[in-house]
Amino acid sequence: MELLFKTLLSPLAWAVGFLWPLFSQSLIALEYLPSGWIAIAVGAAIAIPLGIAAQFRGSWIWIKP
Amino acid sequence: MNTMNFSEMSDQQLDVAERKIAGKYMHQVPWGAVAWGIGNCLVFIALFPLVLMDILSLWIAFPIAVLNVTLSYLPSHEAQHNIIAGKGKPLRWLNELVGHVSTIPLVYPYRVLRATHMEHHKHCNHPVNDCDIDTHADSTPHFFWKTLLNKQPASQRNSAYSACLQRTGQGHLVLDAVLMQSAYIIIMFLLAWTGHAIEALFLWFIPKLIGETYLIYYLAWAPHHPGNEQGRYRDTRAFKSRMGNIMSMGMQYHIIHHLYPRIPLSKTPAAYREMKPILEHRGCELGTL
Repeated sequence: MELLFKTLLSPLAWAVGFLWPLFSQSLIALEYLPSGWIAIAVGAAIAIPLGIAAQFRGSWIWIKP
Repeated sequence: MNTMNFSEMSDQQLDVAERKIAGKYMHQVPWGAVAWGIGNCLVFIALFPLVLMDILSLWIAFPIAVLNVTLSYLPSHEAQHNIIAGKGKPLRWLNELVGHVSTIPLVYPYRVLRATHMEHHKHCNHPVNDCDIDTHADSTPHFFWKTLLNKQPASQRNSAYSACLQRTGQGHLVLDAVLMQSAYIIIMFLLAWTGHAIEALFLWFIPKLIGETYLIYYLAWAPHHPGNEQGRYRDTRAFKSRMGNIMSMGMQYHIIHHLYPRIPLSKTPAAYREMKPILEHRGCELGTL
């Protein structure tokens, strides 16, 4: 159960669960990309590396606290 | 009374005079805070269906949400100090209801806030035991920089409250925080993956970020700055805010709150004005207020 909560509250989960769709939907709303698989893929390409960096570095802004 | 009288008084006589003033402002139900806490939370919750059903523009709802999150803490703070009703009083249920409901927009559980806040009062400015010590900073720009660092996943700030709860034998309350935070995360994920990520960003995530920063600045940093002294009359200060009393959330008079936590927020300015000569005599830091 502890592992479940730790996973849910992790930076990587935030990247996949929130940032990925946020980036995809923002790119569509700002008319940079049309709605569809490309927007979803680009959203993932931005969000997931960011989440991996935050997960292992402990910081979203690269600078460690 | 004037300062001449106070200078001739013993510490015990000063205590009596101080408590007499404080007593005048305590034991009053702050109905404004009750309505504020519950009403503010209901408005915040209502924003979601209103925006998702296109009844209200996101750009109108966004500043309202920022206001809601920023205003969500103080009614709970009144409840944490049992100001609405103490244990065993007929209105105790209302005290607990306000405490639990008002901080929903902020995603902080009432029982955790109450337990850790009591430790903050007990150990104010203590380098280890004050669970808000991580919010201290040398200046306003340093505060914002430190806040940015405190928001990072590896920041010690993230575990400050759980460490405090463990230290005080209240570790079971950590579950409240985990469950509330998990509920927030799941709601954000559901909103995002059902096509409402931008709405979730502007209705909750950014308002929460702004509200938390504003609250920590005025409630934790400003009244305790520079935060290097301890003791009843030196751990908190009065200060004159350029933003005024309402915009600084009444925290100019936070010294009164630390001395007499049962005085409602709305009564602290009047209590301060009456108690000021005593506080000056006690050597409190009162700035230009």
